[in-house]
Amino acid sequence: MQERFISANNFEQCQKCSLCETVCPVMANNPAYAGPKRSGPDGERYRLKNGIFFEDSLKYCLNCKRCEVACPSGVRIADLIQQARIDFARKAPKLRDLMLASTDQVGPMASAFAPVANFALGLPPVKGILDFTLGIDRHRTLPKYSGETFVHWFRKNAASSQAAFKRQISYFHGCYANFNYPQLGRDFTAVMNAFGIGVNLIDERCCGVAKIANGMIPAATRDAKHNINVFRASVAAGRDVITVSTTCTMTLLEEYPELLKVDNADVKGHISLVEPFLYKAIASGELKPVWKEGWKARAAYHCPCHQERLGLGIFTTELLKMIPGLELTELPSNCCGIAGTYGFKKENYKVSQQIGKPLFDSIKAAAPDFVVCECETCKWQIEMSTGVTVKNPVSILAEALDLEKTLELNRS
Amino acid sequence: MMKFDVVVIGGGLAGMTAATALQQGGLKCAVVAEGLSLSGASREAYTAAGGTLLAGDRVTGGTIENGRLVSIRTEKLGDVTLEARAFILATGKFFSRGIVADMQKVYEPIFGLDVQYDADRSTWFSPSFAAPQRFLEFGVIAEDGCAVRNGVKIENLFPAGEVLAGLSSAASDATAEIKKSALAAAEAARRI
Repeated sequence: MQERFISANNFEQCQKCSLCETVCPVMANNPAYAGPKRSGPDGERYRLKNGIFFEDSLKYCLNCKRCEVACPSGVRIADLIQQARIDFARKAPKLRDLMLASTDQVGPMASAFAPVANFALGLPPVKGILDFTLGIDRHRTLPKYSGETFVHWFRKNAASSQAAFKRQISYFHGCYANFNYPQLGRDFTAVMNAFGIGVNLIDERCCGVAKIANGMIPAATRDAKHNINVFRASVAAGRDVITVSTTCTMTLLEEYPELLKVDNADVKGHISLVEPFLYKAIASGELKPVWKEGWKARAAYHCPCHQERLGLGIFTTELLKMIPGLELTELPSNCCGIAGTYGFKKENYKVSQQIGKPLFDSIKAAAPDFVVCECETCKWQIEMSTGVTVKNPVSILAEALDLEKTLELNRS
Repeated sequence: MMKFDVVVIGGGLAGMTAATALQQGGLKCAVVAEGLSLSGASREAYTAAGGTLLAGDRVTGGTIENGRLVSIRTEKLGDVTLEARAFILATGKFFSRGIVADMQKVYEPIFGLDVQYDADRSTWFSPSFAAPQRFLEFGVIAEDGCAVRNGVKIENLFPAGEVLAGLSSAASDATAEIKKSALAAAEAARRI
């Protein structure tokens, strides 16, 4: 009897309450977007009948997943929209989208010529050409590439000393730490080592989030399968996989099975963001931090949209609250507007900045020493738009911990 | 395990009213809100007072020992439980699945609390749209403000708002009644 009333289609849980529309940052700023309810569960009814009902405006969804956080009925609204784009969007990705999304290919090239690339990408004429030819908005400050990748640094300076530690983990550093901000990877290694944990690199590829967003599904699926196999080998060797990027983590945990249909059930429980990993280990007394005396800072926490979707922001705030010298306030929950490659595109730049304005205003009002945020693209957006420095929680730990005393205490 | 003074389950009118009152009164609160039925001003007042909000998370169960709720588990926190001296249940009625009806019974899905409803399903609703609907009166039973399971009181779990039996959002004074019950639950939680 009961089965007759249960549908396999998750969208049928939608009760049309429209809460998702009240939190959608795009809908409030772009009249061309029909909103999460119509683009997601409502549109799905039609699309199931016939793909001609696919609306091109679904591309305006920035996949922040705030609709899913707000939904009282557990409808995977953003997934429905992303899935529809995968199934029905017919246009092939533009050259620009391929370039923005192919981090594993573009990253090594840009890093090899970092001084030239960074200099050129900062020049107004070059930005004008990128704007005109590729549609990358000229107002956007482009991310800097690092001359030495994290992987290169690690092999040269850290790899040989890792085996001495009793406990071992694998580190999924992501493209950002590798090509754009190796300091984050160095901070991660320093913190882990201080806690007596050895860091291992794995043969990782880009998580694929940018490829998914830009319609490059076969390439994203290949990378996903590769990564999951690499994780399996790591877990089999007794090493859990620790990540630092929120969005990479969401992609590995949620988008692989939901959107790319790559099964991760056997390794999911062994993949963890660094903040929950450290919080749990410190709270249980397994790891013992020693904080620097006299270290002080005033920080404001911005919870990235995908961190909110993962429901893991609480681990970051509780972890940071353990630092005696840190005065931490939480910013009201808002999207920063960049959403990965979305905000780089000329057609989205204006909306992207409008979406971020409430967040920028609240940061300026709080006037902290720095903003704390786990997400790298939020960092670009906030630093460019407010001038306030954004630090990853791991970098704050690396600053606030007395690394030598912590190591002494955790060595035994 | 994370420790709070009071954990509120549900982020609607009742939950946020109770949590904001408690947090502003100096207690350390957490709200687990499956779906953001209240956002904007109410949410900001609560977080500005330093309250913890677990948005988009869902309570999957709890540990009850000796007539007290010790801790709850959520979907997103996994093996990390939330502990508190007192808990407020403000999960609403059918729409937000604070109580659920199937073909035979009406039940409270998180803890299996005792629910008041008619055994005869044919009396649950009236075919007339304008007539009062019986099912809107269904809800969890409270004894001295405490939730009850299998006839035994859970001394530190206080239902508030629409999840309560007899409190219907269709009543003309529903908003006032919901807030009143929320403040009563907050007061009971404070005294524990």
